[in-house]
Amino acid sequence: MQAYTWADHRLFPTQEGALLFGVDHASLFALDSRARDTLGRWRSADPLALEDVPEEARGVLEELRDAQVLVPLVPHRRPRPAAVPELDPAGVPLETLVLEVAQTCNLRCSYCYAHGGTYGGTPRLLDPETARRAARTLLERSGDRRGVTLVLFGGEPLLNFPAVRAAVEEAEAAASAAGKELTLSLTTNGTLFTPEILAFLRDHRVLVSVSIDGPPELHDRNRPYSGGGGTYGDVTAGLAALAQWGIPAAARVTLAPRQWDRIPEVFDHLLGLGVREVGIAPASPVTPELLPTADQEEDLLRGFRTLAERFETEARQGRCLPFANLLDLLGRLHAGRAKGAPCGAGYGYLALDADGRYFLCHRLAGEEDFAAGDLETGPDLEKLRSALRAAAAPRRELCAHCWARRLCAGGCHYENHLRENLLGRAPGDSCRFIRPWLELGLRLYARLRAEPENPVMQRIARRQEC
Amino acid sequence: MMKQKTIQALNEKARAIERLAQGEAKNVEALSGPPAMPQGCTTIFDTGWETNPRPEYPVGNCQPSARDYSGCAGDCWWPAQVPDGLTNQKVFHEDCLVIAKDFRNLKYD
Repeated sequence: MQAYTWADHRLFPTQEGALLFGVDHASLFALDSRARDTLGRWRSADPLALEDVPEEARGVLEELRDAQVLVPLVPHRRPRPAAVPELDPAGVPLETLVLEVAQTCNLRCSYCYAHGGTYGGTPRLLDPETARRAARTLLERSGDRRGVTLVLFGGEPLLNFPAVRAAVEEAEAAASAAGKELTLSLTTNGTLFTPEILAFLRDHRVLVSVSIDGPPELHDRNRPYSGGGGTYGDVTAGLAALAQWGIPAAARVTLAPRQWDRIPEVFDHLLGLGVREVGIAPASPVTPELLPTADQEEDLLRGFRTLAERFETEARQGRCLPFANLLDLLGRLHAGRAKGAPCGAGYGYLALDADGRYFLCHRLAGEEDFAAGDLETGPDLEKLRSALRAAAAPRRELCAHCWARRLCAGGCHYENHLRENLLGRAPGDSCRFIRPWLELGLRLYARLRAEPENPVMQRIARRQEC
Repeated sequence: MMKQKTIQALNEKARAIERLAQGEAKNVEALSGPPAMPQGCTTIFDTGWETNPRPEYPVGNCQPSARDYSGCAGDCWWPAQVPDGLTNQKVFHEDCLVIAKDFRNLKYD
């Protein structure tokens, strides 16, 4: 007689029944009311023998077995640890390299995590020869990856256009020689475009993200010039120039907690400026003042929820509201990709600073604990391993009990580093926001799934392939 | 009679699990009929990575071993001992004439 046990799962009640989320597989099922009630009655029976279950319930339990929610109980098998498994960066080919082209900036954003673009050092530029070498290294270390991505970052990368040009041209030549697909992206404050730069970005199909935070007074408070004075006028002129040159731009928004109650307004303002997509990031708490209160976290969720509702309304009409955060989440939920790590940092994703030193990611550039070798000697595997281990350790226990662990895998290393190591907060500080946001996405996905032919659904399916 | 389903797979992962369950049901049928060729990747001493996900005995064993229980009942095949089409030892027959003696010649990646 075969005994079964319940695999870790989470139920989200709905009007029709419930959504069932398989925690370890990131699988999502819809249960009708009969399945929900049967599951509710038998959930406490563990172990469970199907032979002992009355006929009317057995069918449902067999379906749950097929869904791998009810799994064979193996007495002698070592139970799998529930926490997200540790991956080894060894042998993972390089796929994305972020180049800190210019560690300096002409802006002084109030929430900047890079200390005015310098990442804590003296202002400096990546020299074009190092940029070329970095671009070649990306291709050389990309192993069997079909495509690679080069990200031009800063500071403000356009303060060092010679290095941008050098890196792009070298990466293109190396990618073409290796027969690989190359994606180029650039994140800029949008104040430094010249016809020469615009022509280059257009001709080399560079994906451009412009940092802009919303209406003039809000944007100017967040993103003034280093010498003072607002940048809104120049950034919007930059967006207009991009449009004129036929370069699609995405808007990247950063908002301080006191601005989180203005999310829908900010979103609308940016759509009005004709950007392709809007992604909204809560500012990282680089100073204690940027740590949100519970009310402010509620504002953030409320803002995102409002945009999700509008996304749904638009989707019913077959239109896609270009809210990047939600599109990314829905894409991931659609695939049901269970994460072994919160992000690619260290696993095929690395940043290189202006001195040619590797760091776990662009946001951790300049943080000695997350340094990992240099261009000369190559990424230092031991340092990558220890940095990743140290980043994961504080949340291991916490994640082991969380239903969202395979969707989140512990959250942003940098955000955790700030909150826990610098501000002394307990691990799991971001969970209060992450979990409701994921639940919001799961529920929305399930509703959209009811219309599989909807073009928005198809766009979501395509997005996770990107 | 087709049972009415009470659970619907929503995302791609859930569908894959559902397909797996359907596929496994077919495998069970196949095994009760004439013996089929071994499936999956296995080598001589590494009995493979696929575990038996079915509730039937031997639960959780690797698939080739699971197949031994039924596979051997037909024409007395010993599936786990046969490198199948997926083995990366292309000249197995030349390198390893007598398994017990020559297994060290096998160079797997």
